[in-house]
Amino acid sequence: MKKHVLAALVLLSSADLFGAGYQMNLQGIRQMATGGAGTAWPWDASTIFYNPGGLGRLKSIQGYASLGLYMPSTAYGSNMSTARTHSQTYVPFNFYFGGPIQEESKFALGLGVYSTAHIGATWDNDWQGSHMVRSIRFKATMFQPTISYRVGDFLSVGAGFVYAAGTFDMTYALPYHGLLGPQNNLGDNGSANLHSNANGVGFNVGIQLRPSDNLQFGLTYRSQIVMNIVGGNASFTTPVSLESAYPNTSFDSYLPLPQVASFGMGIRANDNLTMLLDLNYTGWSTHDSMRINFEQQTDRLKNMHTPRRYRNTLAARVGANYKISKVVSVMLGGYYDPTPVRNGYVSPDMPDANRVAVTGGVAIKPLPRFTILAGFEAMSSTKRTARYDYGGFSGTYKTEAATTALAVYYNF
Amino acid sequence: MRKVYAIGAIALMFAACRPSVSITTPPSPGPTLNFNNFLVVGDDYSGGFSDNSLTVRGQLNSYPQILFEQFSKIPDPRGAKGPFIMPWLESDNGYPGPKKVLGYWVNSCDHTDSMLAPIDYPNFLMHANDDLPYLSGVNNNQVNNISVMGIRMADYPVANYANLVEASYGLPYARRFYFDLAATPHAELKHRVDVLFPTVFTMWLGINDVLGYALYGGQGDGTGNALEQSGKFFNPRDITRIGAFDSAYRAALNEVSRTGANGALINVPDITLLPFFNVIKSNGLIVPTHTLADSLRIYWGGFGITAEFDTGIANQFMIRDHNGHVRQSVPGELILMTCPLDSIKCAGWGTTFPIPDTFVLTTDEIQFIRTATDRYNYTIRQEALLHHLAYVDMNAYFKTLPAGSPFNGISYSNEFIYGGFFSLDGLRPTQRGNALIANEIIKAMNHFYGSTVNTVDANKYRGVDFP
Repeated sequence: MKKHVLAALVLLSSADLFGAGYQMNLQGIRQMATGGAGTAWPWDASTIFYNPGGLGRLKSIQGYASLGLYMPSTAYGSNMSTARTHSQTYVPFNFYFGGPIQEESKFALGLGVYSTAHIGATWDNDWQGSHMVRSIRFKATMFQPTISYRVGDFLSVGAGFVYAAGTFDMTYALPYHGLLGPQNNLGDNGSANLHSNANGVGFNVGIQLRPSDNLQFGLTYRSQIVMNIVGGNASFTTPVSLESAYPNTSFDSYLPLPQVASFGMGIRANDNLTMLLDLNYTGWSTHDSMRINFEQQTDRLKNMHTPRRYRNTLAARVGANYKISKVVSVMLGGYYDPTPVRNGYVSPDMPDANRVAVTGGVAIKPLPRFTILAGFEAMSSTKRTARYDYGGFSGTYKTEAATTALAVYYNF
Repeated sequence: MRKVYAIGAIALMFAACRPSVSITTPPSPGPTLNFNNFLVVGDDYSGGFSDNSLTVRGQLNSYPQILFEQFSKIPDPRGAKGPFIMPWLESDNGYPGPKKVLGYWVNSCDHTDSMLAPIDYPNFLMHANDDLPYLSGVNNNQVNNISVMGIRMADYPVANYANLVEASYGLPYARRFYFDLAATPHAELKHRVDVLFPTVFTMWLGINDVLGYALYGGQGDGTGNALEQSGKFFNPRDITRIGAFDSAYRAALNEVSRTGANGALINVPDITLLPFFNVIKSNGLIVPTHTLADSLRIYWGGFGITAEFDTGIANQFMIRDHNGHVRQSVPGELILMTCPLDSIKCAGWGTTFPIPDTFVLTTDEIQFIRTATDRYNYTIRQEALLHHLAYVDMNAYFKTLPAGSPFNGISYSNEFIYGGFFSLDGLRPTQRGNALIANEIIKAMNHFYGSTVNTVDANKYRGVDFP
């Protein structure tokens, strides 16, 4: 047993950095295993995220915990160089607790703690895009107290308030170097580091419809959450003669986590097979630009205002859950998530391309009240050749990511 | 419980597997180019001259050297073959004078300012061998880069050039670089072509045909009609006569392309946007009080000269123009970097004493420079069309610099010291600038010849070294 605890600790202590991308779907393991579709079917307490309206469908109070391993890698190539993000593992976790306030009650309460938004990548210090990003990391954990009311067999509604707390950290090379020249790995090129906490609020509402036991629908709306960065630390490493040009100062910024409207449908074809479909319309267009304002500006250190001009996207997710026996079920799914980033705006700090994924998983119910879930996702972006005009940068990107996750839940 | 372990094992398996992608683009010479023997014909911009001096490091990071390295990465039998030989120096201190390095400059009149500025490299010691003619000792003394510092197109027919320029103007470079000191640069070119038998070349000449005029504030005729002095030699402080440029350019091009070599012709950038002419703004006069503004107006009014001054705005400096007239400069006129800042600050230059015309390019002088540049470039373009050669519009590229030209996340500009593109002499490029120039040439050649030579990440080269 000791050995296994050790192994678990090793996994937990892996760097929780994250690859390319901006948003993920790892808030529920059964949903992840069915392509990320979860708006229509309230499988378990993770419906607090997927559809707060589904919480009123739970028969009893449930505790749900999950842990994932996310391993992304982005490769870059141009006719000048090739590069790849450092190997990294992110360990997202989710925790949900909730259900009817008492047996047979139409009211349900719950709390979800989950993460939806992450970007992160670490490149070699002297890679071709180092003057825009050497490393970036942005992550946020959401706290969502939720109330749900089951109007009747046909309709259940729910709403949650979302508080998001996170961190933002970014490092990039400055255009100036010392007497040794720009040998970045010797640290002779100037560098900038921006580090801050970030937080924001929003809400998550949903309607869960159940025309029959075999046909269910879901409609949800998750609001935009503007992650505000106030008074972050901007610190610079430069040759001595440039220290006054790059004073350590504070900075303000913000990053919008986009609003998402989702429609979901679930069909139970027979006693064993449930098929699911989700459509997510994501309001990326609010990510119009990235602004970093420094408190103390100089001739060299000026506010950064880089255009992003994201566009809204419609992602499609399908999946199926097949019940082999009373104890074991298996899941299979996939999704297509088109990129919000227009060509000309594909910046190396958030490279993005259309993504496809295949997913799968297994659920085991060793005890009547206890379920174990395991899921995987293999995601690949299309190989994308794109420009970032603002930085005079272009190249070909490809992102792949492997995710595995485990969850347990218990019905009280 | 065993099942839990099984799931854990699967999870670990995934953890061990790491997605990977590889992206490569192999360079190729395209259908017609042969990079085997590469010849570069140029001047200080092609010779690695930087920071007001010639250094080994400048030579090794000159755009011709960068081009050669990229050409030699072509795996095809038509890739460049070494060695690529320039008349290498022996030392890195600077030749023949000290290179400029960045240091602190203190205003000598009131000792107030201390600002980052170029100063002479303090440990300068010229290597004695650098003054001797260079013999590569390879393949009948092969040399691939025959760029001579300061050379003009107008100099190509001038006999005894190497001796003449050193005796008259203290430019010793040709003596190290030339095979026959008594020959004309054209004959020197012919000799190098005979030895190397180039299969590909680049030619970038003409900058110094206008630069000499500008560096001395436009003292010559400027109209592009100047006559030769003795022995076909033109006044180096004037603009080369258009007809003389044209005929020398055509003759040189016929010589270099006589082996059937393909290549690229690089045009002349507008030199008025170089930092040398833009560090000191002609509207850099700050008048702190109304009283002073009034008294200045009255002072110049006493000479019958109308001049406007006010507080809180950028006032135009007072200058003396080419015709000896004292007047207030107008927007767009340029003050040379060589104009002593101490004199502006403490001796009333530009305020109560006009800045001498040797430090000023007036509107008409700027127009002379631009007209001649356009006229040279017209010839270069025509010759490129005639000889079916790639035409590199370096002038168009240089014109993107004032607004900031982004490259891999660095915005390169013509700002002095900080712009990244130009070295501490304010005229010639840094190593990063050389790499960006190499990229422009590669892009133009790829476009014209259908080759796929890779460009370079200029940011990995040196810009200005900051202490």
